[in-house]
Amino acid sequence: MTDALPSPGRLLCLLLLAAGLALAALAQDQDNSPRLPRARYRSGQEVLDAFAPISAQMRDSIVELNVKEDTVALGVVVDTNGLVLTKASEIKSGRLTCWLASGKEVEAQLLAADDDNDVALVRVKAAGLKPVQWASNPVVEGQWAITPGLADTPQAVGIISTIPHRIRPQRALIGVDFDLDATRPTVGLLESGFGAEEAGVKPGDIFVAVDGASVTNSQQVIEILREFRDGQTVRIRFKRAGREFDASIKMMTPKAGQAGFRSYDNERENRLSGDVSLRNEGFEQVIQHDTVLEPWQCGGPLVNLDGKVIGLNIARASRFATYALPSGLTRQILAKLKSKAEQPQSAAMKSPTDER
Amino acid sequence: MVALLAAALLAGAKSSPQTFPRPSVPKPVRVNLKELPTAFNKPAPVSMADLRDMQDHVAALVARVSPAVVEVEVGHATGSGVVISEDGLVLTAGHVGEWTGRRVKFTFPNGKTARGQTLGVDEEADAGLMRITDPGPWPHADVGEMKRARLGDWTLALGHPGGFDAKRSLVARLGRIVRLTPGLVQTDCTIFPGDSGGPLFDMYGRVIAIHTAIASSTIENFHVPITEFFENWGELTALPPPPPPPRPQAYCGLSVVDDAGGCRLDKIEDDSPAAKADLKEGDYVLLVDGRRIEASAAFNRWIAESGPGETLQLEIKRGQNVFPVRIKLQPQPRGVK
Repeated sequence: MTDALPSPGRLLCLLLLAAGLALAALAQDQDNSPRLPRARYRSGQEVLDAFAPISAQMRDSIVELNVKEDTVALGVVVDTNGLVLTKASEIKSGRLTCWLASGKEVEAQLLAADDDNDVALVRVKAAGLKPVQWASNPVVEGQWAITPGLADTPQAVGIISTIPHRIRPQRALIGVDFDLDATRPTVGLLESGFGAEEAGVKPGDIFVAVDGASVTNSQQVIEILREFRDGQTVRIRFKRAGREFDASIKMMTPKAGQAGFRSYDNERENRLSGDVSLRNEGFEQVIQHDTVLEPWQCGGPLVNLDGKVIGLNIARASRFATYALPSGLTRQILAKLKSKAEQPQSAAMKSPTDER
Repeated sequence: MVALLAAALLAGAKSSPQTFPRPSVPKPVRVNLKELPTAFNKPAPVSMADLRDMQDHVAALVARVSPAVVEVEVGHATGSGVVISEDGLVLTAGHVGEWTGRRVKFTFPNGKTARGQTLGVDEEADAGLMRITDPGPWPHADVGEMKRARLGDWTLALGHPGGFDAKRSLVARLGRIVRLTPGLVQTDCTIFPGDSGGPLFDMYGRVIAIHTAIASSTIENFHVPITEFFENWGELTALPPPPPPPRPQAYCGLSVVDDAGGCRLDKIEDDSPAAKADLKEGDYVLLVDGRRIEASAAFNRWIAESGPGETLQLEIKRGQNVFPVRIKLQPQPRGVK
């Protein structure tokens, strides 16, 4: 058992929890106090054993995806012909295979990806896989949230923590500073290296509409743009010299050295949260649960006590949260990905790894 | 992920003329072990039936106790708390309120807000008491006792990790007591900054501890046992409240005004911390210590709540450039207001 804290001697460094407050150190002599055996922790083996019937029911509906021999994600079996959903951003380029519950390793192929919610459709070359059953009831806070894998007992368990909600994307910019003297939202300056400059926007251009919604002040422009993420293209209608025109502008997250770059102090956060998924923001709707997963344990099903799928685990987000796309949304994405995969190959699919 | 909360709060909240009697020590609510599903008293659940019983119980518990859990905003800090009496007594962590007599804004999970103030603080135990001064009645939770708490008891942690988020609201986490020491309870309920002061409930729905601290591992979550509050009740409720420690005024040597672009630097005094930091008139302050500054009042309040010697991290916009600036506050020079 390790207290994974580089603390000198018996001084246990603890972080006080009000947001915005600094580190505090407490001297705590805790060595002699009895502890609960690890197997009995919320997600310890003795507790997981009680969930064995769920795992037995789910094992043939789950795959473990490997890129170049490294396990990167779990996957959800959605039909009998080897179609599997998983977390797109974990599927990097390289030979894709997967482990089955039977212990076999088989070839797999990426068919299509949905960048909006980070879901990929994969074909697994295996017969006899069992499609999952989708739950239809809404989730309630406090119900069990179970993440089964290929093993006899789940990877980990937790509870539903919040009502389903949307997760905004990481902030991205078009690279425009507003002209503060103008009454209507007007381009003042262009930041170099951003999409607006590239699209030929000029100082003095007036924002008329963003993504189809007309705008009359800069705050509206900012609010609408806030919903777009890095790499997405937003259509903006401008007015220049009395004439309106549309520009397609690529959104970009500022990089070090660019205007608007914010260097978050991630070190402290990471130390408190452990490993989180690289892509953990920007989802239409998520079920938030408190299951502690490793990033590679995402991509698979989140199930209820009936062994029905309530969501697709899509990101380990922080110390206290794992996100799952609700089953309804997941099925909509599945339908879209299927039709995308059936389109002729000329509709060249972008690799999801282009994203970052 | 740590929510960046706007500093523009609390404006106009005056301490209420209402007077409250000195509260007596809360009485733990008696419970009967037989009220709980047997699964909670086993070393671990052993069957699907156990798991179902636990699930039904926990889901009902979350719904029952959530209305009494509040987000707490005091000065710069935000944390959590729990109302334990109809007239609005709030248990929280000592480091959330920090000292007596400060104004507090409480936000309930349904978004309703209330005004109040900090009462006493026990720094050593990290126990704090607050009171809602707006007239109640307020939703409140029962308090429990630690006497019968055992290793392995199941617990429910509620609070606002990362700060209040209306579209998400309260965050529920389930865990077990994994270590018990006289002054601290450890669970595997994963708490986070912003949860401080929030309640740890037993399976009867009684508050048995208050979130205080974490260490790096997800199983290292620490809570102040409610016993600490009872034992120090006199200190936490002492009337009249001890005066707040005199806080030397910090000086940064600049004045700010509002305009369409936000909070603009108006005058920079020579040789001031602001001048040394190379700030210029006409610069805009976007962020202070990660918080967005929307208006001059928010900036001024920030300075007023900071102490000499503190270093603030500003994000400044000058023309089209946005860049960080560190500014070290000094004591207020003589002769300056």
